Amino acid sequence: MRARTLADLLKKGDRVAVSNITGREASHVSIVSQAYCNNIVGGWALGHGGEMVRCSKGDDIPVFADCAGLMRQLPPERRPNKVIVYSPPPAVYGDVKETLNYGSDCVETIYIITEHVSVEVSAKIHNLARDAGIDVVGCNTLGVINTHDHVRVGAVGGEDPDETFVPGSATIISNSGNMVNTIASYLTTAGIGTSFGISTGKDTLILTPLAELLRLAQLDDNTRIVVLYVEPGGLYERQALALARAGEFTKPMVVYVAGRVAEKKSVSLGHAGAVVEGGGTSASAKAAEFDAYFGVEPFSMEMRYRGTEELPEGLRRGIRVRSLHDIPAAVQLVYRALHMDRDFAPRGEMKLNPWFANIGELGKKLPAVLVPAPGKIPEPFKTQFDRILQASLGFMPARRTMRNQSHASSNDGRVTRIYGRDVMDLMRNRSFAEALILYWTGEEPARPFEPRLVEMSLMAALTNGPGTLSAQAAKMSASAGNSPHTAMIATLATVGTDHGGNGREAVKYLADLFRPTPMNDPYDPNHGLDLRAMAMQTATAFKQAKDASKDAGVNYARIPCLGHPVFHDQDVNYDPRERAIWAYLESEGIYNIFLHFYHELAGALREVGVSRKVWAVNVDAAIASVWLGIAWPKLRQGRMTFERAADLAFLGFALGRAAGGAGEFLDHRDYGLPLDMRVPVEECKSLTPPVGGNHTRP
Amino acid sequence: MTPERRNLVEIKAKRLQMNELTFLEHFAPKFDIPVPEHLTADASRSEIREALLRWGGAIVKPDILAGKRGKGGFIWEVEDVREAMRKLKLAAAAEINGKIARTAYMVQCIPAVQEIYTAITYDSRFLSPSFTLSLEGGMDVEEIGEDRKKTLPIDVFKGLDAYQASGLLEELGCPGQYVSLLARTFVKFWDLFISTGMRMAEVNPWRVTPEGEVYACDFKGIFDDANYKYGDAEAVLPEYPEGRTEFEEEMAEWSAASHQGQAHVAELGGKKVLPILFGGGASTIIIETLEEYGGDPIFLSDFGGNPPYARMYGTAERCFRYKLKDASLLLILGGKANNTLIDVTFQAIADALRDYVACNGPIHMPVIVGRGGPRLVQGLLAMQRTLEELRLPYVIFGPDTPLTLVAEYAAKVASTLEDTR
Repeated sequence: MRARTLADLLKKGDRVAVSNITGREASHVSIVSQAYCNNIVGGWALGHGGEMVRCSKGDDIPVFADCAGLMRQLPPERRPNKVIVYSPPPAVYGDVKETLNYGSDCVETIYIITEHVSVEVSAKIHNLARDAGIDVVGCNTLGVINTHDHVRVGAVGGEDPDETFVPGSATIISNSGNMVNTIASYLTTAGIGTSFGISTGKDTLILTPLAELLRLAQLDDNTRIVVLYVEPGGLYERQALALARAGEFTKPMVVYVAGRVAEKKSVSLGHAGAVVEGGGTSASAKAAEFDAYFGVEPFSMEMRYRGTEELPEGLRRGIRVRSLHDIPAAVQLVYRALHMDRDFAPRGEMKLNPWFANIGELGKKLPAVLVPAPGKIPEPFKTQFDRILQASLGFMPARRTMRNQSHASSNDGRVTRIYGRDVMDLMRNRSFAEALILYWTGEEPARPFEPRLVEMSLMAALTNGPGTLSAQAAKMSASAGNSPHTAMIATLATVGTDHGGNGREAVKYLADLFRPTPMNDPYDPNHGLDLRAMAMQTATAFKQAKDASKDAGVNYARIPCLGHPVFHDQDVNYDPRERAIWAYLESEGIYNIFLHFYHELAGALREVGVSRKVWAVNVDAAIASVWLGIAWPKLRQGRMTFERAADLAFLGFALGRAAGGAGEFLDHRDYGLPLDMRVPVEECKSLTPPVGGNHTRP
Repeated sequence: MTPERRNLVEIKAKRLQMNELTFLEHFAPKFDIPVPEHLTADASRSEIREALLRWGGAIVKPDILAGKRGKGGFIWEVEDVREAMRKLKLAAAAEINGKIARTAYMVQCIPAVQEIYTAITYDSRFLSPSFTLSLEGGMDVEEIGEDRKKTLPIDVFKGLDAYQASGLLEELGCPGQYVSLLARTFVKFWDLFISTGMRMAEVNPWRVTPEGEVYACDFKGIFDDANYKYGDAEAVLPEYPEGRTEFEEEMAEWSAASHQGQAHVAELGGKKVLPILFGGGASTIIIETLEEYGGDPIFLSDFGGNPPYARMYGTAERCFRYKLKDASLLLILGGKANNTLIDVTFQAIADALRDYVACNGPIHMPVIVGRGGPRLVQGLLAMQRTLEELRLPYVIFGPDTPLTLVAEYAAKVASTLEDTR
């Protein structure tokens, strides 16, 4: 090999070029790498020359048409000494040959990420690269990370390498890319950090074999222990152990050998090279060879290791673990035995820590030891969860055929139920509003005052006088001689977004505003939000949008439920029905953040100059605030769809107004004349002049 | 060849394997490799009689994707036509380790004064092809002492030349009169290996007749499906009747349909845990842990490699369609992914699960999830919401819980439920 120590594979200051950089994976990983270590100087991709891979952090990456272009056009100090190959399998050989042709004077290492490269091509690549004095890692490597130098090639460490790779004394060499990350993460629980994380790949031919890597690790001052993840296939470990036996590698190793399952059952393992070929290549054979070299039994949590004289000598060579999660404990054992200090205080524990659990009735069937105790979500995940939950509302239900099914009601021939509650019990013990909340939300009222608020909302919706569209519709129906239910239908037919349906828009509007906040309880006056500031910000944004729209001569989105055609001529205007709900809240000491916000907003709109008077917060806003107050905790906890929450406010109005329409019908039917709602012909104006001839019938 | 190796390649390399009959019919003639005459089971009585008269005797063998044909009692030496026809029928119906013969064939008996073992494979010690030779042909190579076999690295560009082969023969003490012919024949063997994109080829034994003629008397080869040359060979490879289950067959086709993301499964015959696993290494470890703690996994799977949504959905949909009804626990588990996007993959699995329930009605089984990696939080939330909606009991772990502990926990829950049931 060209490299003499692990740092020769990758170190600070190395300059990386990426083949096929515009590919899905290559571009994504490269952007993350730039943010982590900014070591990519360029890439190439056929047909993409002249493009740029934009990076949010670190330098943007210039894309060249081919390898030759990259090598020629980059200034000498930017020419790459590392190349990472992301090309599809048929292009890998060509890319390596290009690299050798145009970059043999500067390139030291080629990393081949690509999977499904043929063994023949791998052998040819090895042959050519060896002759050119260039090291090859792969094929099918995930890459390498040098934690002390804070640099990586490939995707080792995922999106946030710092989360897992803390500088330390262990070098991880793994046949599985994923296990590099996993083991590094485990080691932190023992207070052990990483020097290098190396994914060898597990194709049939591993072009940087274990023996070579151990030779390099021997000379890496930061590496005090090597942790190995080994799979069946090949004699790489036998060669490595021969090196160790010859005294050329003297650091301890902790080893996990996977793949025993393949010996018992006819299965192929995930990696192409994880195939047993001849003696010494099975998992059992490899494990036995390691055990023989270490001279100690595989690590066991149950075993007491103190007082065994020969143990430290064996542990000087290392120990094998039977379970992956024993690695930290085994590493700790080696460190203790050899009087080595851990790198830092242990972080976290190796234990079951459920982040979410809901096992319901299953818990009764399981022994206590298998019933998960609530765990704790560690940082930074906890903050991420909170942020996302704040930003999202409701859940997406599983769609299915509902023809003969219902969650809402049931009837077993004896008892009718609403969401499982006996209707007779409800009739005996609950109010109509309580039953309605149950039927519409699927849950009984969460607060004792909610049914009263719903009842008030229904009353407020009953009527706004005989001139409203919905009342007129009921009267029309009566005037036409229709039956009562058609009057209610006619009432509902005139309820729409502009009449009565604005509550739904209000719910959407409020939800958009409060979704990103940490507010979970709308009835809690100590919500910690500065509602005035929110209102000012909203009003200012609205004004800007309105002014811009007017300038452009286009429509703009109105704020729903503010202003009223009747209650508008005072300096500060109120809708009396909203006032009744507000008064009830005040008298009972109940807070509703949404209604409070509406009033702040009405004031703010005047303050920023949108309105000359303080608009009335109308009854639709009050109804929306009532129903959103009921729905909000359910939305936050993912127990209700957002669509349902929006519909509740609309339905609350529609139900009240349909009853109101019935009232208008009864009155009109009793006292009105047939067809008395008809508009006489002479009162109707034609806006279209007659066209041609005499339109009057003879 | 060790038993382990044979087991491993049977499923993975069903259509990647070249058996002796295919070698006799297609590849030996193409590469001018001397082989005994042969007849297949559909030969007429008169053809068989005539062949036996000419050959003196024959060996009847099943054409089957299983090793240990001889030890299984399915290779017979025959001399008369009645016996040959009877044995051909028996061989054509042979079943070894669950594999069924495609057909049967008989090959001419070749008298030998010398039997030779040869194999060409890619060798981890040299990182190149290697040629292994022993003058103790007919034996399992593992049983041949190290001092009685020689392995020679081959330059992949230059190939095996006759001088190298003859040198090796002489080192092993091969009688001089056979060296030249054997060496030239081995070069043809190399040509076959390298021209067809093979990963391993073995002739065991070559038989040298008293007259000094050489015949390849048994053959086994494994192709490298990543090698473009395999495409040419594939056209003449026969289909074998047994092998993959319908599920494995569909998954294999699905797997081959794209290089974006893994879709690898191998059935294990278990009945408890349905494991949707990620990562070649992680999946192996998880399966081993499940087995150790009585989880009885249905299959081994590896769905890592950052599959896009449609790919992951298709994979999960197939797994659920074929196997969910048999499972008592669904395990979705992987290590800390480096580049597989957890929100994309988990949303796809969740949607597949939801659609399964929509088509097949409610299911009642615990779901245990463990994962780490990019966009984890979004992924876990998507999964949790779906499990809530489907009213499935669940436990979800993050990357701070070792995946082997999660697998152990899942195995114990599945075992307990099975016992309760």
